[in-house]
Amino acid sequence: MATYAEMAEMYEDIKSDFRFDHELNGCLNCGICTATCPSAQFYDYSPREIVQLLWTENVEQIYDAMQEKIWACAQCMTCAARCPFKNSPGGLVSIMREVAIKHGMQSAKDVLRPFGRVMLKLITTGNQLSADMIQPDHFPDWGPNIQKVEGDLKVLRKAIPVKTLQTTETAWEVSLKTSVEMYTIWEMTGVMKQLETMDENLFDVIVDFIEEKREDYEDWLEEHADEKNDD
Amino acid sequence: MTNPTNPTDEPRGIAGHGAFFQPTNLSPEEAERATDWVRKRVDRRTVDLGERMDDVREHMWELEKEGEIIVHRVTDAHEPRMVKTLFGWDKKIPTTRLWHHKSCGQCGNIPGYPTSLLWTMNGLGMAPGRDYLDETDQTSCTAWNYHGSGIGNVESLAAVFLRNFHQAYVSGKRLGHDAGYFFPLVHCGTSFGNYKEIRKYLIESAELRERVKKILAKLGRLVDGKIVIPEEVVHYSEWVHVMRKDIAAKLQKYDVSKMRVVVHMACHYSKMVHEDAIYDPEVLGGNRAATATGIAMALGAQVIDYSTWYDCCGFGFRHIISEREFTRSFTIDRKIKIAQVEAKADVMLTNDTGCVTTMDKNQWIGKAHEQQYSMPIMADIQFAALACGADPLKIVQLQWHASPCEDVVEKMGISWAESKKRFEEYLEQVKAGKIEYLYDPKLAMSMVA
Repeated sequence: MATYAEMAEMYEDIKSDFRFDHELNGCLNCGICTATCPSAQFYDYSPREIVQLLWTENVEQIYDAMQEKIWACAQCMTCAARCPFKNSPGGLVSIMREVAIKHGMQSAKDVLRPFGRVMLKLITTGNQLSADMIQPDHFPDWGPNIQKVEGDLKVLRKAIPVKTLQTTETAWEVSLKTSVEMYTIWEMTGVMKQLETMDENLFDVIVDFIEEKREDYEDWLEEHADEKNDD
Repeated sequence: MTNPTNPTDEPRGIAGHGAFFQPTNLSPEEAERATDWVRKRVDRRTVDLGERMDDVREHMWELEKEGEIIVHRVTDAHEPRMVKTLFGWDKKIPTTRLWHHKSCGQCGNIPGYPTSLLWTMNGLGMAPGRDYLDETDQTSCTAWNYHGSGIGNVESLAAVFLRNFHQAYVSGKRLGHDAGYFFPLVHCGTSFGNYKEIRKYLIESAELRERVKKILAKLGRLVDGKIVIPEEVVHYSEWVHVMRKDIAAKLQKYDVSKMRVVVHMACHYSKMVHEDAIYDPEVLGGNRAATATGIAMALGAQVIDYSTWYDCCGFGFRHIISEREFTRSFTIDRKIKIAQVEAKADVMLTNDTGCVTTMDKNQWIGKAHEQQYSMPIMADIQFAALACGADPLKIVQLQWHASPCEDVVEKMGISWAESKKRFEEYLEQVKAGKIEYLYDPKLAMSMVA
């Protein structure tokens, strides 16, 4: 449990995000956002409540909502499209999630643990998912008809008539230079720090992977510099 | 007592419209003139938004004038077609010289989505390398991850956006074209919504621009020291929409007039930065976003309305991976069941990655709760490609779908069994290295490593 000062600090972080004033403009409690919200139908979650807590600066309950409620939001942004005040409860939830991560909240760590595999894929390849992740064994609830033609995944992917898609470990073929540029973006924008706060083991795996890829790229550049010199 | 407005007390007017209603007997032109002022007041497409809604593109031109940014323009060479968006603003949709910004969810999971699009472009005579480009130098927008996990931030999303769109801007150079030759065509609905949101923030915040500029400089992704921002962010379904009549007139092979189609409009297409979505008076009276529905209508399918048309599919970004109970329940209760029982649809079409995945994959599990509903799910462009004679497996790649898409194929008069047999024979060729491509594979290799 955080102290009041810590909660207040989290609230200040939320409020100081430059999007905050963009996403919160007032609230009459009309409830259109909640009426149209898919998550409100299934969880103890209400976009109206999120807006009200922030509007009334209810620091303790904001902290409370950051434990579980903010993770219920499906981020469809229906609330934002409907709000007569042009609030974006979904956008406010995004800010609150970032702050929960920044402060290393245990609830955020718990919620994100099953997301690790996806994060590993995205941070290292620039693709959110890949063909080898969507296999029948991984998703038994998708049923026996998940693939209508049996066969080796590599061959099935080669049968896609678009060169960039003939991969199994990435959604499409991403050039090494592209990946290296993306690692620079992660480092310069604090994403690596977020990862370290959330999951140190995952962070270590990712750092090793990035180092290896950077070395591959350096080698490639050297090889091609030689080729140029040979010319 | 005598009625003061009808002293003779003769019955008149039409039931249901009040006692004093009577036909005006005006000609259509006179009627339009007579009610014009009302429409001007209530039609959201002509409403004066005042300070409530800003067109971010106007500020882009100012920033360009001030030397802050470069705007990647949709030029005449992109052969743009004009459309109207929610508030009646114009949007230019380029129809050629397109840089395919792929979707990780589509390519990894529903590959028939991009292949159907490329196949359709080829069918319309577009030449790879000249009229479109698909290359390896791109990342995903990374917004699926951000909306799912909160890992990432505006700065990282902005840097990824500007990096990818800079690559689109310069991508033609290796083929001898000028900068700006290819214009990005965004395949994913979430990328589309996210990029528009980020563009808005970049235009509004000088501080964000400064921070991101440093990153782009390090990557060598500035042009004359400036960031490149696109004049329009264009979704593939918008290209399909403006080309729908050409697709139907030039390519359609199968009659789909007996097909009952329902459309699920992707939230991140029409609800995120919703002022930029296409609303077309020819499609559902301009009252709903027009993409996906427009192509189904152009092909002659029966578009059926249903009560939960505005609902999200239940994807949830994080939920489809780690809270699947929510995703399944929502999609079965609010989408699949309604499409089957209420609309009695033959197929549900949509225009985004996550929606196809969610609704296609989460049907079988309903059996566990005696929810025996099923509905073929595919993208608008997959349906269009099928109607235009694309092979259901080799091109439309329906073998990756879990929902009963075979039924749609059969209903169009195409034999699924024969297509499958042909595809299995083709797999043997593939094993022997004889692969057929929609474009020369060399075009994909952008530059290095």
